Amino acid sequence: MPYQVKIDAFEGPLDLLLHLINRLEIDIYDIPVAEITEQYLIYIKTMNELQLDVASEFLVMAATLLVIKSKMLLPKHEEVFSDDDPEMTFEDDPRDELVERLIEYRKYKEAAHDLKSLEEERGLMYTKPPSDLSDFAKEKQPEKTELNVSLYDMLAAFQKLLRRKKLQRPMATKIARQEISIEKRMTEIMVELKLLKGRKNFNELFPYPAKDHIVVTFLAILELIKRNAIDVEQSENFGDIFVEAVKEGAEVVGNY
Amino acid sequence: MEIINWSSILESLLFAAGDEGLSLKQMAEVLEVDELKVSEIIEDLRQEYEQANRGIMIVQLAGTYQLATKKENAAYLKKLVDSPHTSALSQAALETLAIIAYKQPITRAEIEEIRGVKTERPLHTLVSKVLIREVGRAEGTGRAYLYGTTKEFLDYFGLKSLKELPQLPEKVEEEFIQEEADLFFEKFQETINS
Repeated sequence: MPYQVKIDAFEGPLDLLLHLINRLEIDIYDIPVAEITEQYLIYIKTMNELQLDVASEFLVMAATLLVIKSKMLLPKHEEVFSDDDPEMTFEDDPRDELVERLIEYRKYKEAAHDLKSLEEERGLMYTKPPSDLSDFAKEKQPEKTELNVSLYDMLAAFQKLLRRKKLQRPMATKIARQEISIEKRMTEIMVELKLLKGRKNFNELFPYPAKDHIVVTFLAILELIKRNAIDVEQSENFGDIFVEAVKEGAEVVGNY
Repeated sequence: MEIINWSSILESLLFAAGDEGLSLKQMAEVLEVDELKVSEIIEDLRQEYEQANRGIMIVQLAGTYQLATKKENAAYLKKLVDSPHTSALSQAALETLAIIAYKQPITRAEIEEIRGVKTERPLHTLVSKVLIREVGRAEGTGRAYLYGTTKEFLDYFGLKSLKELPQLPEKVEEEFIQEEADLFFEKFQETINS
């Protein structure tokens, strides 16, 4: 009968080494290379036996450990311990470079841990999307400006949208798979924009909280931008993005 | 003299602004007062909200002020939505993000040097979540992309600014330990050799 075993997944060779150092209660500044190498190789072997993909980085580290181990085995020169030059006693330890890397990595591993708690903490607070104040806005048509929206602005808007739709998700949903092509969605958007004869808020182009519909719509908008069928505009950093149909040459859509 | 209920006005503004938040400057412009006055008004409002029977608080995120629900009520809010799971970042993504946050601007190769593994995929995830972005190109051959954190990064971790990041573990103590370890190691070697 098959059963599943959950094993710790390691982020990389440095992560595995840190794990071994912790488990064997070793001082990171005084690593017994022979012992740690042996343990490390056992892990790699087990990973192989479990038919896990052993990334090449793990093998490189195995080789590095073996090099360090052999360097440590070489006898030290006697004259190193001569009295006249005490400085010489601190000969380069072959482990130095590895220790440095481990410490550097451990620093950021801890920082990642801190970020995780911040992430959880932040997840406890909820905010709402801005209220729609467009009724108050004067009916002035904005002047034509240069296309000034970067891909990052589009991505940011998309992420924000996903976040908002998540909270609007109904308690229970019935799933009916409905496939909609990007091509079809492009046509729909163009029809919508032309009927409107003005600009439309980017967020309003996503009427359904279904992820695939949102993704298709987003791709459709990007494609329309590429084909110069629509204009996208953002008046200030992080402000709302507005979409408008390009007046002339809009026939291009759908001919591909 | 006309009495203006500043904190009432400000409350409405913050409510309407939602998760876009408002900066001190924006509020000062709308209220037509200076930023110092705005900070005082915010402080008044904050104290009002701090009372135990209120469910809203004022938070400072990524350089703006926002109204948010109180953390202690999170359990009830979660019941409102269907899926209890939150899509938290993976360990790989968090490590990558930590390195970028403290060492930005930084190239992919430099990140991989620290982590000791390939980092293409976590970088991709972080860019698509807009927590990081390409901020320029490195000098030298290849002109590799340099990565940095975004405003969304601050919001995602509830930070006012990058200055609020927790301190990295200090190095001062390490040198001391290193010397001790060396001493010990020497003694150890001598014992073995003798």
